[in-house]
Amino acid sequence: MTGMTAQMVFLAFFGVAAVWFGIVVFRTRSMVRSALALLFSQTAIGVMFLVMQAEFLGVLQIMMMATEMSVMAIFMVMFMMDPGGMGEMNMTHQKRLSLWVGGIGLLAALAVVLLPDWGLVATSVPSAQAQAEDLGRELLSRSMLIFQSAGLTILTAMVAATMVAIVPNAEQRK
Amino acid sequence: MTILIVLLSLAAGAYFLAVIERWAVHGHLSLSGPAWAALALLGRESVLARKPDRLFFETGPVLLLVAGLMAAAVIPLAPGLIITDLATGALFLNAALAYVLVALIMAGWGPNGAYSMIAGWRFLGQFIAYAMLIVMPITAVAMRAESLSTTVIVTSQAQLWNALYQPIGFVLFVIAAIGLAWLPPLDLPDATGELAGGVEAEYTGVRLAVLRLGRLVVILALAGATVTFYLGGWLGPWLPPAAWSAIKTLIVAALMLSAGRYLPRIREERYLALSWKLGVSLALANIFLVGVIALVVPI
Repeated sequence: MTGMTAQMVFLAFFGVAAVWFGIVVFRTRSMVRSALALLFSQTAIGVMFLVMQAEFLGVLQIMMMATEMSVMAIFMVMFMMDPGGMGEMNMTHQKRLSLWVGGIGLLAALAVVLLPDWGLVATSVPSAQAQAEDLGRELLSRSMLIFQSAGLTILTAMVAATMVAIVPNAEQRK
Repeated sequence: MTILIVLLSLAAGAYFLAVIERWAVHGHLSLSGPAWAALALLGRESVLARKPDRLFFETGPVLLLVAGLMAAAVIPLAPGLIITDLATGALFLNAALAYVLVALIMAGWGPNGAYSMIAGWRFLGQFIAYAMLIVMPITAVAMRAESLSTTVIVTSQAQLWNALYQPIGFVLFVIAAIGLAWLPPLDLPDATGELAGGVEAEYTGVRLAVLRLGRLVVILALAGATVTFYLGGWLGPWLPPAAWSAIKTLIVAALMLSAGRYLPRIREERYLALSWKLGVSLALANIFLVGVIALVVPI
């Protein structure tokens, strides 16, 4: 029982941390702080996975986000006018639209959480080794198409982003 | 108890590395040198830049040290002598080392100085070069062991070390590790000559001591990872297992540190091109080869 309560406390703590860092993303004017706040929000979610004994998913989340958010940080620094936030520039725009989209997104997420019947909560947790094995089998069977298409989409986005980044330089050289 | 032993061996290893690094950089071997240097750093004034991002400035060095310690936590020194034997140890090692990048970006951005900022972002560029070459060779290692647990990976090499079983992966991993630890010849993020020490440029006193200690721990963790993944970990005749781990790790670390003495520096864009055009292709070939060997001759 004490194990269970400790689990709940840690889960709640890192849940709150994830939300808090999510808020920090929009409260700071520094692009680097914003990107790294998003990173720590995602890391907190990774730790939540660990607390829920989904070891592979947790470690993967913690690893992927570190690199992704760092790369995102440099893109934000490249494309924003005041990346350090020291010029006191306001970087937000379309506030009314954002509020509406954010609100509807929150409602949709809550609906997904609350409305469907999730069935029985798992009573026993498979070992971390078994989880990794099950995930591998899942990725190479039923979910293979989804993950391969996701990979291709991300690759396309990467190529596009790189092109956006290098085109102005090519024009300057003319 | 285990944690204490591992931490103490880490501290001893870091000191040994500091001695070797001193020799590799300045050319003279001095056993007491690092101790005096550390004392001097602790006593020195901690200078703050004028308008720093204080949060990042303070967090960067500590995060680097934490990342190195986390990585070392999944490296087995002997059977049972490991801080935490995770079922996903090999992946966890990657996760911990990914935060080296975050720490360096923070430490580079924090002081609000041109040199350190350029160095921080430069390390991000270098990261793009080495990242895949850390992960893909480990994939092949895990394929042979049929596990991500570092202890299982060591025992899977009882017949034949991975350095001989998958030499391509071994070479790629060591080069990538040198890049990750920004050691010469891949130390342009640090760029002693050109960026006045790069990320370290604006750090002084205790903070610099933590930053340097963090880097030594990262180097040690990488050497330990190389030994675990490719050189049979604690396996070896006559001597006790822990002794083998220590000897192998220190030799690998010393070789990684001394490489820069004999090789010319490589510009990061050339490193990037080589890593992706040659390195990633070789790493893919390595995964394929290991897969075929594992299926045909199971050893």
